[in-house]
Amino acid sequence: MDSYKRNELLAGLAMLGAGVFYLVLTLNLPRRGTVDAAFVPWMLAVALCLLGALQLWAWRKLPNKRAEPAEKPEAIDYPTVIKSVALVLLFTALLQPVGFVIMTVLYLYAQFIVLTPAEQKVKHLQYLLIAVVSSVLIFYIFRHGFDLLLPVGLLEI
Amino acid sequence: MIELMQQGFGAVLTPYVFLLITLGVAVGIVFGAVPGLSATMAIALCLPLTYSMGPGPGLALLVALFVGATSGGLISAILLNIPGTPASIATTFDGWPLMKQGLGVKALGIGVVFSFLGTIFSIVALMFIAPILADLALSFGPHEYFSIAIFSLTLIATLSTGSLVKGLFAGALGFAFSTVGIAPVEAIRRFTFDLPSLNGGFAMLTVMIGMFAVAEVLKFAESARLSHRAKPQHVSMKGVKGFGFSMKEFVGQLPNATRSSLIGLGIGILPGIGAGTSNIVSYIVAKKRSKTPEEFGKGKIDGVVASETANNAGIGGAMIPLLTLGIPGDTTTAVMLGGFMVHGIQPGPLLFISQAPLVYTIFAALILASVLMLVLEFYGLRMFIKLLAVPKHILLPIILVLCVVGAFGLNSRIFDVWAVLLFGLLGYGFVKSGLPIAPFIIGFILGPMAETNLRRGLMLSDGSFGGFLTNPISAGFLILAVASISWHLVTVIRNRKSAAIELMRS
Repeated sequence: MDSYKRNELLAGLAMLGAGVFYLVLTLNLPRRGTVDAAFVPWMLAVALCLLGALQLWAWRKLPNKRAEPAEKPEAIDYPTVIKSVALVLLFTALLQPVGFVIMTVLYLYAQFIVLTPAEQKVKHLQYLLIAVVSSVLIFYIFRHGFDLLLPVGLLEI
Repeated sequence: MIELMQQGFGAVLTPYVFLLITLGVAVGIVFGAVPGLSATMAIALCLPLTYSMGPGPGLALLVALFVGATSGGLISAILLNIPGTPASIATTFDGWPLMKQGLGVKALGIGVVFSFLGTIFSIVALMFIAPILADLALSFGPHEYFSIAIFSLTLIATLSTGSLVKGLFAGALGFAFSTVGIAPVEAIRRFTFDLPSLNGGFAMLTVMIGMFAVAEVLKFAESARLSHRAKPQHVSMKGVKGFGFSMKEFVGQLPNATRSSLIGLGIGILPGIGAGTSNIVSYIVAKKRSKTPEEFGKGKIDGVVASETANNAGIGGAMIPLLTLGIPGDTTTAVMLGGFMVHGIQPGPLLFISQAPLVYTIFAALILASVLMLVLEFYGLRMFIKLLAVPKHILLPIILVLCVVGAFGLNSRIFDVWAVLLFGLLGYGFVKSGLPIAPFIIGFILGPMAETNLRRGLMLSDGSFGGFLTNPISAGFLILAVASISWHLVTVIRNRKSAAIELMRS
């Protein structure tokens, strides 16, 4: 299957799935009349399901191959995306217990390495320095300049 | 009005606010110039800085970022042949050929000066149109507001890039996300999964920071390891007089600039489309009207003028519905709306009565930011070129940390950071499946406005939907909403054979 056609199918399934999920949640809302707190969610749930179905209907009608030759698709590096998502999730999960400064240094250092272009060398010392300076600077600017109580975590004495 | 304007200038010409505006313009130019960063992101990220400021200085900083970032896109458009933001796509058509001919400084000078003129034109239009519209909007009730919200929503869903079905779906999904939390009128909890943090719904800023900034970082991760760094061309500023072009050239461009300003302003006012569309439309019109259309694309200054005047003229245009009706015209003004709300200000017609000095402070800040943009962008060019060279694998993670700080700062809770990540992943999913983000954001913002006014309107008309149709303004907007979808459908169905393809791609 053409990758464009496959993407459109996945999009349609995701759209319909989201619509059905919202519809199920809406079914559980208490009803108190025709126009109540569930009225707008009902309209939206029906619209989302219909649009998802329409996307799938339109997908069926798509030609198997595109008339014009497809441009060479750009390579997508999913491992880097997954690593980045994992890093961000870890960063958020440990932000409160470990604290902003330490977690930011660790996150930035790791994320710099993950995103470094393959043709460039990983500069560990430079990355670590940038990570420490950015982290401390952001913490002090926001904590002391803008009264934002970023989590201190382990550094609390 | 003159007295209020004086007060406005008095407020922005204090050293503190002046410094904020200068910094805002400079940071904005950088966000505009670096491809992948945008005005929306600049404002979303700098919002936490304004939490502890008063509304005047805070909003002055945000409009300065807006002006700087809209114009900054021309730097990379001309120097790298990559538009810094979608607002500068048409600038590359003639800006890059001029650069290759060794006329880079001239192209940059023209771009900066006409960006300035476009902005000033739109601010003047804003100052005259907004109070009149606000006066008119004072008489609007729930019926009108409901219909305007629905009209804006359908317009953005049909006009945004991508297919009609996906545009409408994105708008409806944004609306659906806005229904999380305590419902208007009856105050029952909806879709909260018994999480107390969800009682207030998702904060607007978490949605925007997630969809724009986090999703952008993930998108960058797709190609980060394969990327090659684009090196900006060297530009010599030696012996450059004024802005690098002659008075004769300037005067010759005035008709083109006037036309492009009007196009930029008009498109900017419409909800859903803004500078990203107007720069291309105005380039096409300039080419059609030109006596020498064949020279376009080969390094004709008219092309740079048309694009840059139009995109900046959208600034004042997009601010009109925001200030007078509380309706954001595009994603950038949507974040601005978030900025207003952080400071406890609800934009709308009452703003011109209850907060008139603040409105004029915003006008004055816009004017000052334009002047600073003119000076900083041209004479500080070398500094901005250096910043263009900062590698993105260093820049984007730092931006992500700032996203987290901004989200945390909303209510000092980690829940909002999780929400940002959720919307970041959703935004990335949108990018992968070709769903447009703008209708989602506008749906999320206008959803509660539509729902609350629907309920109030029904109460006023004793439960009858007729009230929305018998009220002339409300009926007018609803007819326009139906017309915009019908018109789109008709153009699709006209070519029946490829209806399905059109529905997906149109």
